[in-house]
Amino acid sequence: MADSTRQIQKANTRKKIMEAAYRVFSEQGFSVPTSVIAKEAGVAHGSIFTHFPTLNDLLICLVSEFGNNIGASMHGLAAKCDSLENLLTGHLNVLEQYEAFYTRLISETSKLPGEAKNTLAVIQSTVAFHFSSVIEREIEKGTVKNLPVHILFNTWLGLIHYYLLNREFFADSNESIIRRYKAELLSAYICLIKKEGGV
Amino acid sequence: MKKCIACGMPMEDISDFAAGDPTKDYCIHCARPDGEMQSFTEKKENLTQFIVRTQGFDENAAGKIAENMMRKLPAWEKYFD
Repeated sequence: MADSTRQIQKANTRKKIMEAAYRVFSEQGFSVPTSVIAKEAGVAHGSIFTHFPTLNDLLICLVSEFGNNIGASMHGLAAKCDSLENLLTGHLNVLEQYEAFYTRLISETSKLPGEAKNTLAVIQSTVAFHFSSVIEREIEKGTVKNLPVHILFNTWLGLIHYYLLNREFFADSNESIIRRYKAELLSAYICLIKKEGGV
Repeated sequence: MKKCIACGMPMEDISDFAAGDPTKDYCIHCARPDGEMQSFTEKKENLTQFIVRTQGFDENAAGKIAENMMRKLPAWEKYFD
């Protein structure tokens, strides 16, 4: 078999494992055995360890790829964003796309290996970067209350996380929390932070 | 598309590049006022303060996140060997 064909097969198997792990972790959490991931991916159990020597390596790789996707989406969004409302809507849209996995990340952070925890912190910092660049502009224009940026950011994130972490009280099991509450969360948050006569 | 070697930011528009120079490998946020790239110490301090300001973290925790951001970037890899 030509080397290039072998490499393509290897890359395909790796991709299958990553995609299966993403689905399994999203649905069952990070304590799931690797045999379940292998079954979902349709590969031999040993094949997982050819690509990822340990479960932690797989988790680190997955969280890192997830971070790259979120980062790229947020960057594209901030570049063309003309208002805070559009940026926040975009943030919610990105989270909705990855809702199940993101909810696992914030609810099972303590189960993640150190490097994946760090990656999660870097992901939030990337979001904070785009959030702050838009919100500081709004504060300067006098449309948003002059509160510390970290309070504004943490309030926004805290609101979203509260709904995600208590999803069983807010929606049916298969329903997207973000999709259901997007409009309400957005309008309430904007209302809380806007300056009278602004936004 | 180029990515800043010092912070990883995608550089699409000419205004993203240091001194508006698209031949540079680092972005406007990683440049000193004279256009040169910030040092490791300057960048780490700036990132740490940025995290404190935008997320309200404790300074030590923010410093660790800043290091983790920098660890994988081409400009700073050698500082973590």
